Formats: sequence, C-alpha cells, structure tokens
Amino acid sequence: MADANIAKPPSLPARQSGVRTVLSYTGIPPSWLDKRPKLPSRNWLIFLSVTSSVVGLYVYDRQECKKIRQAYVDKVKHLAEVTADPFDFPRTVTVYGAKWPADEEYLQGIKYFRKYVKPILVAAAVDFEMISGKRHGDIAARVAEDTRLRRRLDLGLDVDPEARKMLPTYRSAAARVKHALGGGVVVIGRPTFKEYMAGVCAGWTAGLEPVDADEALSRVLEHDTHFDEPPDLADMAHADADAPADLPRQAPLSPQTSPVFSPLQMPSKPASSRPRTSTAPSVPSGPPSVIPPLPPLLLVPFTNYIGITQIPLMIWGFFNQRHKVRSGAEAGYCLVMGNTRPVNVPEDTVDFVASAEMSERAPLVDLGDLDFDKEAEDFYKSSMEKFPEDTDKIRQKYYEALPKKLAIARELARGTREPTKEEYENPPPTEVELRAERLKKERRWRDDVHGWDIIKPSAAVQWDERLRGSLTVFVDPEQDQSDEPSSAPIIP
Amino acid sequence: MSFLRGGAPPSSGVNVDKIDMAITELDTVTDFFNKMVSSCYSKCISTRFAEPDLNKGESVCIDRCVGKYNEVQKKVGEKLQSRGAANAAAGAAGGFSPL
Repeated sequence: MADANIAKPPSLPARQSGVRTVLSYTGIPPSWLDKRPKLPSRNWLIFLSVTSSVVGLYVYDRQECKKIRQAYVDKVKHLAEVTADPFDFPRTVTVYGAKWPADEEYLQGIKYFRKYVKPILVAAAVDFEMISGKRHGDIAARVAEDTRLRRRLDLGLDVDPEARKMLPTYRSAAARVKHALGGGVVVIGRPTFKEYMAGVCAGWTAGLEPVDADEALSRVLEHDTHFDEPPDLADMAHADADAPADLPRQAPLSPQTSPVFSPLQMPSKPASSRPRTSTAPSVPSGPPSVIPPLPPLLLVPFTNYIGITQIPLMIWGFFNQRHKVRSGAEAGYCLVMGNTRPVNVPEDTVDFVASAEMSERAPLVDLGDLDFDKEAEDFYKSSMEKFPEDTDKIRQKYYEALPKKLAIARELARGTREPTKEEYENPPPTEVELRAERLKKERRWRDDVHGWDIIKPSAAVQWDERLRGSLTVFVDPEQDQSDEPSSAPIIP
Repeated sequence: MSFLRGGAPPSSGVNVDKIDMAITELDTVTDFFNKMVSSCYSKCISTRFAEPDLNKGESVCIDRCVGKYNEVQKKVGEKLQSRGAANAAAGAAGGFSPL
C-alpha cells in the first residue's frame, strides 16, 4: 500500500499538461479540473430537449408577434401624429362581438378584437366603441334598434332634445350619420356577422314604432293556463265557503280581471301608447325602397375553440399566435386605410337563402361575402344543435314546479293557513312575483332560441336586395391597387 | 322683499354640517380630477414635446382615458355605497363595520 502511494506521485506530473499544473495551484478543486465533458443521462436529455423546444417555440412565436404588430403599427403611425383640433371628432368605429355558441364567456369576440385588432387602431388614432352581446340575438336586437332610431331621425320623427343642442359639441343628425359613415363597423366572427345582418335586415324592414318586447310577450302569454286555478285545489280550499262567494275567486286570474296583475301591466301601457299617438299622423312607416349608404363593414375572421376535442387546436394556437396577430393586424390596417368595395353577393342569392332554410348544407354555391368565415361553423359544439330542445326541457321543468309555488302563494295570500316559521323569515314569492318571474324567464328562453335560430349553421345569412347598393366592405389597400380603385374618401 | 325674509334664517345659524359636507365633497372632486389628469397625462402624452398642440393619437387616448376613469369611478362609487349601506345595516345590528 505504502509502496504504491509513493510510486504514483512521480508518474502523475508527467501526464499533466502545463495548464493543468498551473490551475491546480490556483485553489480550484482538483475534481473540477479532472472533469471530462459528457452527455447528461437519458432522462436529463429528454427533459432538456422537451423544455427547451417548448420554451423556444413560445419565445420565437411571441417575438414574431411583436415584429408583425410593430410593422403594422409603423405603417399607420403617421395618421396619429397629425395635430388635432380640440373640437374635431376622431374617426369612430363600432365593434360588435356576439356571444360564441356554447361558450359561457360571452366576451370572447371582444377579447379577440382587443388583443389583435385594437393595437393598430390605437396606433392610428381611431376611436372605437365596443358592443358585446351577452346572449344570442343581443347584437341583432341592438342593431335593429339603432337602425330604427336612425330611420326615425332621418324622417324627422324624432328630434334631439333642446338641452343637447345647447352643448358645444352638438352635431346635427345628418352630421352624425356622416361621421358614422366615415367610421365603420367591425364584425368579429361568423356569429356576429349573422346577427349583424339579421339586425340590419330587420331594422330596415320593421316598423318605426318602438316595440315593447315585454308587453308583446305578456299579450301572447295572456291566454295560457299556467296561472289558472286548479279546480280541485280551489274546491278543497273553499269547501266550506258558500258557492256564490266562491265563484269570483275561481275565475282564472287573467291580467284584465286580476287586481293583482294590474300594477305590472300599468306602467308599460301608457309608455307604449304615448309615442303612438304623438307620431301617428305623419308616419310613412313602411320600409323604405332604398337603403341609404351604411357604414362599411370590416369582417374579422375569428374562431373560438371550445371543448375537449379542440384542445389540440388550442395548443397549436398557443404556439402560433403570430397567425392571429397577422390576420388581426391586417384587418385593422384595412380599416384604418379605409379602402372599400361594394359588397359582393351573387345576383340570385335570394333563392339560395330560401332553399338553405329547407335543406341543410344544400347551397354549395359561392355566396360571396355572405360566406364570410363559414368554416368556423364546423367548430360549433355539436350539443348546440339540441339547444331549442334543451330550452324546452328547462321550460317544462319550470312549469311542473310552478303549481306548487303558486298554491303556497295563494294559500298565504288568502290566509287559509298561517305561514310557518321558515316562511316568516324567508317569505315565499307572491303571485305577482311569480308572474313577473315567469315573464322574465319566458322572455329569456324565447330570445335565446330566436338568437340561436339566427346564428345556427343551417340558417343562412340574412340578405336584403336593397342592401346591395348601400353596403360596402373594407379591403386591403395593397390588393385593391390592382383592381379598380373604389376607395371612399374616408379619412377626414 | 322675500329675499330678505328668506335670507334671515341662514344668517342666524350657519349649518356647519352642511358646509363640512360641501367641503369634503369639493375635496373629493378636486382629488379625483387631479388624479385623473395626472394618470391620463402620464399614459397618453409623450415626453417629447414637438409641437404646442395635441396630436390626434394623444387626443383620442385622453378621450378614452377620461371616459374609462369616470366609468371606473362610478362603478367603484356604487360598490362602496352598497357596501356602506350593508355595513351600516350590520352596524345598527351591533356588528363591527370595517368601512
């Protein structure tokens, strides 16, 4: 042992290089100096390669996103650097984002806009107003209502209040319309497009009078039997009462006869009758034969992936956001530059629209702009096809539970029994409340199903031939150079 | 002559509570305004002063900023008020009110 120890030291220095010798005197541990580089173990290799490729993909993608966005921002920046007159109105666009079918998060469309289109608009100093639809059909209803108000203003049926005219920033209705025409409408995704078109068609076709949807519905529901007194229960409750005294009570509580229902009905009636009398004399209430020019449309393709089956697509999208950034920025750029072309819809569309109602997926014909983002409909959740049936089931369940609540409410109202201690603390809903709740629920169910009927894949995009001359679409200015230039003088 | 008679009661005793409330309110509004101006200024106006007037981008930004600030203020105010009311109710019942 001792021999070996003594024999080795002289042999070692001979093998050491000069560098090694020098370094060994610097205080670096000798074990570090003897390290030979080698590959890490198999597991480490797997871990490192997976991690680094994931991180690399992510970083590369986000860098590209920044570059693309910056390129478009630089293209439009000059528009924001002009000096502004304090009383000037900047160009304002309206952004519509409808609820995506089967997604609880109704703001998805607006979020997409904010993330991918907005930076370009901000850079170009274009103001925007975002309107989101909480439920299906909200956008359609809103657009129709706005259109109706505009028509009234155009016809001079409504006038701006005097107080508003006093403001220094007041502009006449015509100036406002002109300003809106210079702006535009941003439509995010296929559902929004369908709702918007439905709203425009309805708004330019329907009457000019305000329609109180609650009142209309209550008139429809007036004659149903859900709030009628069940005969056997009433008999049991008033078995000891005299027959003549019992009769009026057994009559069904319809809104006309019931004193309970009148407070609900009262406020809505005068409100709806007042404008009718004041404006009735000079209303040409029929739909106009020509629709004046409408703000140009910017169609932003957008697909919202939801559900377990689409998770691979979500992952792919997470690492490929640059495509969305490019598409959104391009759309924003088209809007900012303001080059438009008339909407491109084939002449005989009406037949196809009609036939599309009958047979699903029948028209394989190109519908031009009406086919905007059609492939997004393949990504709707299949469970949405049963949406009307599901709503019916919920409605049925509600009506099955209703008589019990109604009986309790009536018993307590008539004092046939004392309320229990629990009912003292949390009083059950009265009949008036139940009626109001029913009206609200019924309204929501009907609106939802109606909204779904607008956007469901088997329903065609609504189209009105009168829109042909008045609707325009934003196009990419670079592509537009080759076609005949039809740019509108939009930038003020 | 009515203004003489109408003016007489306040001169006898100035309502200190109301004056205090008005002062507090004025302070709140001034504070709100100053905060809004400073935050919107720092958000929207670039530090490079090239010209005396606002440019388009800045004016749109300020417009949106002020609108947003007011909206948030309104929402927070509503929330605080409803919470204050709830707390007052709880406080009347003998509870502890943190607000």
